Amino acid sequence: MSEPLLLTKLYVPLPRPKIVLRPRLIGRLNEGVHCKLTLISAPAGFGKTTLVSEWIASYGRPVAWLSLDERDNDPTRFITYLVKALQTIQAGIGEGLLVVLQSPQPLQIETILTTLLNEISNIPENFLLVLDDYHSIDSQPVDQSLAFLIEHQPPQMHLLIATREDPGLPLARMRARGQCIELRATDLRFSPAEAAEFLNRVMGLNLSAEDIAALETRTEGWVAGLQLAAISMQGHKDAAGFIQSFTGSHRFVMDYLLEEVLHQQSESIQTFLLQTSILDRMCGPLCDAILLDSSVSGQSTLEYLERINLFIIPLDNERRWYRYHHLFRDLLLNRLLNAYSGQVEELHRQASCWFASQNFPEEAIAHALAARDYDRAAVFVEQAAQQLDMKNCLVAITRWIEAIPDQVVEAHPWLCIYRAWGYQWMGRRDSVELWLNAAEASLPFALTLGKSDNERDHLLGHMAAIRAHAAITGENIPRALEEGQKALSLLPERDEMRCETAVAIGGAYWSLGRVIDSEQAFASARAAALTCNHLTMAVPSTCYVGMQQVKQGRLATAHQTYQEALHLAVGPDGWETPVAGFPNIKLGDLYREWNELERAEKLLLRGVQQCILLGQSDVLVDGYLCLTRFQMAVGNLDGANENLRQADLVVAKTKVDPFLQTRLEDCRLRLWAREDDYYSITRWMETSGLSVESPFSYYYDLHHVNLARALVSLGANTRSQALLNQAVSLLDRLHDAADRAGWVHEKIQILILRTLAEKALGREDATPGVLLQALALAEPGGYVRIFVDEGEAMRLLIEKQSHNRDHPLRGYAHKLLAAFTQPGAGPKSATPALHQVQRGASVIHYKSDIIEPLSNRELEVLKLLRSDLSGPEIALQLSVSINTFRTHTKNIFIKLGVNDRRAAIRRAEERNII
Amino acid sequence: MSDKPSSDEKRNHPPCYEIRLRGHLDCQWTDWFEGLTVTLEEDGTTLLSGPVADQAALHGLLKKVRDLGLPLLSVCPHQSSQAAEPDVNA
Repeated sequence: MSEPLLLTKLYVPLPRPKIVLRPRLIGRLNEGVHCKLTLISAPAGFGKTTLVSEWIASYGRPVAWLSLDERDNDPTRFITYLVKALQTIQAGIGEGLLVVLQSPQPLQIETILTTLLNEISNIPENFLLVLDDYHSIDSQPVDQSLAFLIEHQPPQMHLLIATREDPGLPLARMRARGQCIELRATDLRFSPAEAAEFLNRVMGLNLSAEDIAALETRTEGWVAGLQLAAISMQGHKDAAGFIQSFTGSHRFVMDYLLEEVLHQQSESIQTFLLQTSILDRMCGPLCDAILLDSSVSGQSTLEYLERINLFIIPLDNERRWYRYHHLFRDLLLNRLLNAYSGQVEELHRQASCWFASQNFPEEAIAHALAARDYDRAAVFVEQAAQQLDMKNCLVAITRWIEAIPDQVVEAHPWLCIYRAWGYQWMGRRDSVELWLNAAEASLPFALTLGKSDNERDHLLGHMAAIRAHAAITGENIPRALEEGQKALSLLPERDEMRCETAVAIGGAYWSLGRVIDSEQAFASARAAALTCNHLTMAVPSTCYVGMQQVKQGRLATAHQTYQEALHLAVGPDGWETPVAGFPNIKLGDLYREWNELERAEKLLLRGVQQCILLGQSDVLVDGYLCLTRFQMAVGNLDGANENLRQADLVVAKTKVDPFLQTRLEDCRLRLWAREDDYYSITRWMETSGLSVESPFSYYYDLHHVNLARALVSLGANTRSQALLNQAVSLLDRLHDAADRAGWVHEKIQILILRTLAEKALGREDATPGVLLQALALAEPGGYVRIFVDEGEAMRLLIEKQSHNRDHPLRGYAHKLLAAFTQPGAGPKSATPALHQVQRGASVIHYKSDIIEPLSNRELEVLKLLRSDLSGPEIALQLSVSINTFRTHTKNIFIKLGVNDRRAAIRRAEERNII
Repeated sequence: MSDKPSSDEKRNHPPCYEIRLRGHLDCQWTDWFEGLTVTLEEDGTTLLSGPVADQAALHGLLKKVRDLGLPLLSVCPHQSSQAAEPDVNA
């Protein structure tokens, strides 16, 4: 969480001890649970929340409650609290999603919701989810999220929405399908009989039928109005006189009555009510802090207000947190603004101090902003940023800073720096340098305020680190190195920014084609992350190390490195966190290269699912491309195309690392060649902007190799000597470039393309050394697919080599030939499993090397599977439909990683599950 | 209600609106309703009138009406010279 959780939002309100029982409405609510949605839509003060709390007290099933406020218009916050509310009835549900929701990268909301829905469908019993105050939501993404949830709502869930205005949902359609029931103002309004019961029995008044009718007419059965009228009359000697003047007035009911009620309270209570109306929620000590009146006790006043029923609502069972009824609070607040507008800012300031002292940064900052005390807000943001996990909270921190006027921010170097870092992360790159300059400008002033030299170095170190990252994105590599070195010399030993800096430096060396330096830089990034015990940074840094080892053709070492990264990504509870997606796809891709396709598939599918949740577009694109190559290896071209399309979709939304753009084009060209789509290859060549003359770029991972591939494909197909000769000379130069960089992997690829070009030119015998060179480079790493993926032409070439009995690589050549002869050797399950990945439909948690735990129901099914009963018989025994039974078995099979009943039993017995 | 910006709006004069509510509101609600003029009518209704910056501001006002539980009777654009001189009746 970017902030401490407000548990009060999840509190299920208890019914009041004395209320009007409303059997007619309770009956309708009971009927309503048979459809998807109950909508209670009525203006403020119609007793919506009271009715729902009365109903659920006798409902007898678990209830998850979420009271919404304006800040929930942020879909991330909305879903976070939704998960937290569900966790009150099912511990641990959506825990993995909470990690994902902290990610500063754009979210794939539908995927997250799908995952949540899947987890909801594992909740064993029927339950109710209440969204109260839904009118606070004024955001299309949140409305759409809710519509999606309703559309795919699991049967055990019933949703209840209480709101002052109809929500942005397809209500007409739901009504037509009988999917919702509604209670509206006319239903909630007190009937004359209910008004009589309320006034005389509940409120203990003794009014005549005539008086009751008059009050009912004047308030039109409006519950809040009747309640305030009753409280007024409780303190009135002349109830009849009160009713006469009240009913004879045109004045707004609440205005009239509030004045009556306030006049009956002591002066100190009146002051209390007005001054505390600035608070969204309050507790005794908070009230004491803002009132500054030692003669009044906040706690006992709150309890008194609750006792006299004065529109105050407890938010927990301990009589700690309360809030006013929203309508009542608005009335009080308006009075406060009119009568004591001069005090309002001071009250907010006191509230801000109190929240800060209790470590509620968000409210401390909000009240400081309301007090227009921007310096205080700035200090609080700075403190919050130092306490919170900076990177996870970058978005929240940036928003807080944006709410402070620029000239105040400019006086606080740290705020300028956080803002610049936030913008670098969010891809708003134009603003990064602007705020770094502002930070620089503020330094001399900040330092006169007693900040030490250490502090100065710390600030300058952060600025240099951000500049290093900005320089990489701006393709200014020398600057990135310069700023990176500067940052490392300035930053203190245990600072997360050292890791970020080392990553930037590693990227810079990569772009310069200095593979050893790059590997070392990434290794020091990993070391820095481990020093700060920052695992979410250590995992990607370690993967980058592995990627540099792959470039050197050291696949076995890379394998170890990725394993180590995976190990770091396993949480203390033994579950893989989403950041495990990165090492998983990298390991999967290694297994694909080694032609261990079954292992590759398992890791790639799992890794891509985790990457979707991780929400980091670079890693996700990498995952889709690895899957594309995998699908091509198993001969599933549709699957390959689909994954390529998914990668394209992500790339269209955000900018990804240059090496991934190059890999994307590589996959595209390979696929076209497999599909004999030479037209597309030709068009690509015309539009790629690459030419044999244009300079090579390590930054783009030598993307001229793609051009060479296109030339070889087209040249071989059209038997064009010109194209092939162009390819050969380009490949020669590329070989030198890869050699200078120490990029063995690229060298192998280049030599392979060169061999194919020579073969197409009919000159294969003239240069047998080229293929041998490739084989010699590839053999230590155990490369397989890099040859096999080139198809029949390559097979013939290797076969020829294998005839040479004395050759030291003969064994390796035979191994490769064997791999050629089993095309599509991959498992047949590839397509359906993939389908699940794309819909994000399966469960996201993976226990490291241990299978997903089965639900109680699934265990029950599993035990029956061990019997001799047939499917329909088991369904009958469990009193479920055959489809439900099938869903259970399917889930069991997925969790156990098996395809049939017998294997499931065997696996379960092996693992002592049954 | 028109969604299109009126010619007044284009000339930086925000359009005027009349919002009619059932019941009488005190003048102390003037600030709450962003400086609109509060007129109490003899038929027991309240008329809020004055310039409203744009559609977003109008929806904000209606939300405040909603949050007070005030019965809303009508919302009308109001063409008058008030647009140029919003303070005359305030």
